[in-house]
Amino acid sequence: MRRTAPLTKLAVVLLVSLWAMLLESAAALGAVAGLLLALFAASRVPAGSYKALGGLGLFALALAAMQYALGAEAEFSLVVGLRMATMTGLFILLLATTRVQDLTAALARQLRVPYEYAFMVTASLRFIPDLLTEIKAVQEAQACRGYAGGGSVTRRLKNYLTIVQPLVLRSVARSETMAMSMELRGFGTGRAGSYGTSIALGGRDYLALAALAAGTAGVVAARFYM
Amino acid sequence: MAAIVFDDFSYAYDGTTKALDGIRLEVAKGSFTVVAGPSGAGKTTLCLAACGAVPHYFGGSMAGAVRVAGVDTAAGSMGDIAAHVGTVLEDYESQLVTMTVAEEVAFTLENRGMKHETIARRIGEVLAQVGLAGLEDREVGALSGGQKQRLAIAAVLATRPGILVLDEPASALDPEGAEELYALLAGLNRETGMALLVVEHDLARVLAYADQMVVLAGGRVACQGRPEDVLPAMWRQPGLAAMVPPLWQIKLGLEEKLDESFAAWRNEEEAAAELGGFIAARRRGGEKSA
Ligand SMILES: Nc1ncnc2c1ncn2[C@@H]1O[C@H](COP(=O)(O)OP(=O)(O)OP(=O)(O)O)[C@@H](O)[C@H]1O
Ligand SMILES: [Mg+2]
Repeated sequence: MRRTAPLTKLAVVLLVSLWAMLLESAAALGAVAGLLLALFAASRVPAGSYKALGGLGLFALALAAMQYALGAEAEFSLVVGLRMATMTGLFILLLATTRVQDLTAALARQLRVPYEYAFMVTASLRFIPDLLTEIKAVQEAQACRGYAGGGSVTRRLKNYLTIVQPLVLRSVARSETMAMSMELRGFGTGRAGSYGTSIALGGRDYLALAALAAGTAGVVAARFYM
Repeated sequence: MAAIVFDDFSYAYDGTTKALDGIRLEVAKGSFTVVAGPSGAGKTTLCLAACGAVPHYFGGSMAGAVRVAGVDTAAGSMGDIAAHVGTVLEDYESQLVTMTVAEEVAFTLENRGMKHETIARRIGEVLAQVGLAGLEDREVGALSGGQKQRLAIAAVLATRPGILVLDEPASALDPEGAEELYALLAGLNRETGMALLVVEHDLARVLAYADQMVVLAGGRVACQGRPEDVLPAMWRQPGLAAMVPPLWQIKLGLEEKLDESFAAWRNEEEAAAELGGFIAARRRGGEKSA
């Protein structure tokens, strides 16, 4: 998907997520998940993304198993797991194949999202990996100090919040600095910019968008009129 | 016309406590101005005011004015100011917004609407200048702190700004890295006339290059002027004496002891040459009187 425009990729993420929400049969969702895997294979993403995908698969399986254990139908449990996996997988694919600044440029220039919001979206995407590393670092530091992580559920939740809260605050502060520094570097000044080649839509984008539109129409028709 | 003018400028983030208080300061075209001062003195705020982030990003209340290349920063947008001023913030990590090193430099240039061939050439040039040649495709997240800091500087240098504002640009660099960085900046300053406003608490690093030093304390200018005037003034103030570079501590200490006055040393070589001559002269004087 590297030569596909960011706008097209965003459309893929949003519309295929919509499919995943609308579809109710495990077979249909399985087909969508298969499509996603094919996209992964076709776009030669870095190895790290496959690791993320593997973790996601396990998590989806656990989610489905939990639903089943709580008394849901087998098919419903499978649908819940596949839905979650597909929607998250789409994001992983987007992030692995798109430059963050192209995404911001597409949001701001083509979708006319106000710059501040475009900044915020991309800034939070940019900081997810950092955030995960930091959470791990804090947990390791706590383990070093002999913190075992046991106790009642509420206690554990409290402990978890004490880790997460400063990290979230810090990443909010950071994304503000980042938005500021992007502006300091001339982003969003209303000049034309030369993103031309990296965000412009080409023939393959229009083809993909047409296919998406047709697919969406099909899914909607199947869901509401059949 | 000066590059940056602070015209009786005061600023408070929260509207009441002044982070900067009555600053009068001029950074001339082609000047290498260094700002020092204790933590919380307002150095970062001064940088933010020079690039328009204060007040545009932080709100707060201000009095007086800051003019950059003749334009009042409160009137112009941050984008207008950015066309004249390149800025590297204290928190350089959150200034890096792309996935790879080459993209990081390209980002600034793409925002200027440059052609792709020009961008590709500039990336190579500027990465070589800061010592990151060959790392074009490296992921930004995989760089060391010092490399990230140099990348943030490269991304700004790539546009060849007329004015450069740097907030502690060597904080993550080792001593050699810091020396190389300042030699590079001084070279650009000499060759292109780029004006520099640099926050650096280790004045020894910039002694050889600075033509103006500014010491802030509690949001006010404590001393300001040519290094040869500012350093002795700092030496006489108990709170600031420790910030005087070791070479000048020696010079000022010797001058007091010997009741002599030496030239304004820029580096160890100049000091050694003058002291060598001084000792030789003394020895001759001693032989004569004996
Ligand atoms: N975003 C902010 N909101 C409110 N107050 C702030 C903010 N940033 C700085 N200040 C306050 O303004 C004053 C000057 O801070 P500034 O960051 O400019 O100091 P500094 O000289 O850069 O210090 P350091 O050497 O630690 O970097 C301090 O009292 C600080 O607490
Ligand atoms: Mg500071």
